[in-house]
Amino acid sequence: MLHQEELGPRRTVTHPQKPKTNRLFVILGILPPILFVLSLVDLNLPLGKLIPGTGTLFIDVGKMFPPDISSWQTTFVDAGTTLEIAIASTAISIVMSFLLAFLAAENTTPSLAVSRTLKGFASFLRGVPILVWALIFIVAVGPGPFCGVLSLLTHAVGLLIKVFSQAIEEVDDRVLEAMRASGATWLQTIGQGILPMAQTAFISWSALRLEFDISDAMTLGIVGAGGIGWDLENHMNGFDLHGALFIYLVIFFIVFTAELATNRIKVNRMKAVS
Amino acid sequence: MYPLPQNHYRLLNRRRTVLTWTFIIVLVALSGFCIIATNFSPYNLYTGLGQIAWIVFDKFLPPHPSALGSIVKPALDTVAMSLVAAMAGSVVAAVLGFLAARPTAPHPVFRYVVRGFASLLRNIPALMWAFILVDAYGLGTMVGTLALFFSTVGWLVRAYAEVIEEIDQAKLEAIRASGASYLQVLGQGILPLVLPGFIAWSLYQVEMNLRTSSIIGMVGGGGLGFYIDNGIALFQFKDTAMAIVLVLVLILGSEFLTSSIRRRIL
Repeated sequence: MLHQEELGPRRTVTHPQKPKTNRLFVILGILPPILFVLSLVDLNLPLGKLIPGTGTLFIDVGKMFPPDISSWQTTFVDAGTTLEIAIASTAISIVMSFLLAFLAAENTTPSLAVSRTLKGFASFLRGVPILVWALIFIVAVGPGPFCGVLSLLTHAVGLLIKVFSQAIEEVDDRVLEAMRASGATWLQTIGQGILPMAQTAFISWSALRLEFDISDAMTLGIVGAGGIGWDLENHMNGFDLHGALFIYLVIFFIVFTAELATNRIKVNRMKAVS
Repeated sequence: MYPLPQNHYRLLNRRRTVLTWTFIIVLVALSGFCIIATNFSPYNLYTGLGQIAWIVFDKFLPPHPSALGSIVKPALDTVAMSLVAAMAGSVVAAVLGFLAARPTAPHPVFRYVVRGFASLLRNIPALMWAFILVDAYGLGTMVGTLALFFSTVGWLVRAYAEVIEEIDQAKLEAIRASGASYLQVLGQGILPLVLPGFIAWSLYQVEMNLRTSSIIGMVGGGGLGFYIDNGIALFQFKDTAMAIVLVLVLILGSEFLTSSIRRRIL
């Protein structure tokens, strides 16, 4: 008979421990339904309208067909204006944020106070929705593309300062230290140390910003800041549904193309937002 | 691999430099053209900024705290609209996301149809959806909620599908090899892996919805946007300023909240 000692220590089967449930997940499982119900109570939505409304919606959309392309010239000119607004504001905001980002990033800023002030200011700029900026600027400078550029620009600078300075802060501190130790000036550290490392992030964020600007510029027209949004508003208000459908198609086509162009970048970058 | 002759590298390099520079020059020229076409000049900027400063400091500031009483309800509506749209949208998008992602799609046809549908929903801005919806559902928060719901579904289907496509296929293979059915693979293999990603994206969508819902009232969707739009039309700038401050607090608050939750679950 074999003794226990000869068999070696008794083997007990250990089941792998089930990973503990993150308490946060539990909260995230309970809280949303409660919030959902509370929100529904607050909104007091006329849910009875949902079904007849959806019926009307389909009839309305049906009425919009076929698209009326007779005013294509104005539509294209307005679409051009929208694109001009988007491109101009992206270009200007890139240049401005590029310069300011170095003052806002903690590892390149001349003083922490400057960095904090700039970052706070940037959050303020991007915290106010673009259309609200547009409403304020219309009062100040009057409607038109200039107003559109200003409002997109204001918001874009707020976003780009944040993400550019994040990209700069991700640069390895030892690289900068080594450069400073070898006697590089501030500008040299930036040009030779930071730019080569951060440029991919800079370029992809700029491309993304252009895409956001294009789709935001579309809606800007609604409050009167020029471009195709204004055109759409006019057609909808004048009940020219066939003309409106054509504008919808043009808008879809432009935003869709912009999205395709920046498809690759987006998913990777959006993860880093805030 | 044969080593390329030395001058071949140089040629490749030169071609690349030429391409880069052409690209940069075209970009700069295009930007310059657009800046001029939109009347954006240093002079206009200077006078414009002066006017803006005057308007802001003279008319908008200081905000009237007394307006707060009438702003609370629109602000609650704004938050409620974005939450309802985000949650209902997440559920719908989760189902559609599974149909749109390569590893889980029952048939490739589903992928194309669902992805096309989602792209239609998200590439028409929410405010423009509201235009169509106003006629069918009448002015009010119903329109705002539905328009936000549309764009939420559009964005989240794409994001969820991408989260599903990113997961490690070997793990699913292992579960399948042990005899799991399609539903078991979904529940035991895919769901635990994608859940953090789903939650992170939904939180991000709450933030995006809050931004949109605070302006969607401008086209008849109810909430703070209606109050702001109305206030400016009626020249009640100081009351409007109070509402704008509230929008700012809501958006920055949600940005802070969602990003701190996201950091803990990812």
